Amino acid sequence: MRRILLCLAFVLFLLSMWMALTVGRIEGPPANPDSVVRNILYTHVPGSICALLCFFVLLVASVAYLCTKNPKWDILAAAAGEVGAVFATILNVTGMIFSRAEWGLWWTPSPRLITSAILWFLYIVYLILRTAGLPGSQHRKAQVCAIFGIIAFLDVPLVYISARLIPDIHRPNFSFGSNEQRAALVLGMVATLLWAAVLIWLRTEILRNKARLEKE
Amino acid sequence: MKYSWLSFKAIFVKDIVTELRAKQVLPTMIVLGMLIVWILRIACEAAPASTAIIGPAALWIAFLFSGILAQERSFAAEQHQDCIYGLLLAPVDVGTIFLAKLLVSVVILCIFEIIIVPVVLLFFRLNPSNRLFDLILVLLLGNIGISAIGTLFSAVVHFSGSLLSIVVLVVLLPMMIPATFALLFLFGAIPEHLAGSGALAFVGSFKTAVGYMVAFDAVFTVACWLLFGFAVKE
Repeated sequence: MRRILLCLAFVLFLLSMWMALTVGRIEGPPANPDSVVRNILYTHVPGSICALLCFFVLLVASVAYLCTKNPKWDILAAAAGEVGAVFATILNVTGMIFSRAEWGLWWTPSPRLITSAILWFLYIVYLILRTAGLPGSQHRKAQVCAIFGIIAFLDVPLVYISARLIPDIHRPNFSFGSNEQRAALVLGMVATLLWAAVLIWLRTEILRNKARLEKE
Repeated sequence: MKYSWLSFKAIFVKDIVTELRAKQVLPTMIVLGMLIVWILRIACEAAPASTAIIGPAALWIAFLFSGILAQERSFAAEQHQDCIYGLLLAPVDVGTIFLAKLLVSVVILCIFEIIIVPVVLLFFRLNPSNRLFDLILVLLLGNIGISAIGTLFSAVVHFSGSLLSIVVLVVLLPMMIPATFALLFLFGAIPEHLAGSGALAFVGSFKTAVGYMVAFDAVFTVACWLLFGFAVKE
């Protein structure tokens, strides 16, 4: 099942990339209209949505763990944290590449870029907590990570969504206007969401087996 | 209600008296804070015009790092001979314990601020002039934010110092942006024409910055109060 989903995600991703570079191609910046650099948005936008969704999964799993003390929720939170960190890295790296091509800057302290960096830092600290070898029982460690997961998520709506409501100079001066562009974006988004779901599934299974082996 | 108040008062007085008698953390905080301020002031010599910009940042850096020292200690004393279990076994609501510990932390940080803020104002030649009330408000809001997060995470037993630092710092990072800009507005370090652009689009005015800080404090204090029970109980 997982293989089928992974293959499907890969095919959809390739299709999205093909559309992005052909029929749905976004014209380059005014200085260099032939450049394909703006098309990195087809990876950037799905990446950012997946990073946020992974954080939401992390929140739900953390709350569920604190309420039920069932280790399966802790494992799901760990998997969502790891996959979310990957997508947050993709979000920041592709954003920096786009920013460099569009405004000539790798990074500047605008609301959008600050909040994306904060999101990345929150994920990384979550992973540090996970791997820090905290003393105490497994339940205690899981409890600490769940509490951090919940508190960290509170930062997300406070800064991430509010930043999107504020006028920001670093807003691209184009949109996905044509139907082909929108179709390429939707395909890319479905493919990336499938990647994220399968990766979380895979990591959950690996972590569950690891926990079982440690117990034996 | 009266019982909760009495418990709150007992825990608060116990912790404050212990700290003021033993002086375990305040001297260290003050020296660390002064060293940070002093080093940044020396760096400012390269560009004397930037003192009004570096000053507020120096104040928050000193405040954050010294504040974490206070937080580390907050529950360390309770770990000694498992005193924490005695506290938890007492018929006191865990929320009351959290609020008492939070207030202790706020008071210790206020004492620290009373000493460090004049040093910063003097070193960086900053003059809050007729906006002293605004300065106290901003410092108090920052104080509550760091105390709430710090108290929750220091309650998570056997937390190592470095780990506590990064956890508190990363959670407080979004609040430190409006906090720094509030002081920059207060000391007139931001030219009028820059307000509302770039990073300042976030916090276009002093009032917006303070509004953000109030929102952060409210959300984090309530969340930490609700989660405290999970943090101290196995």
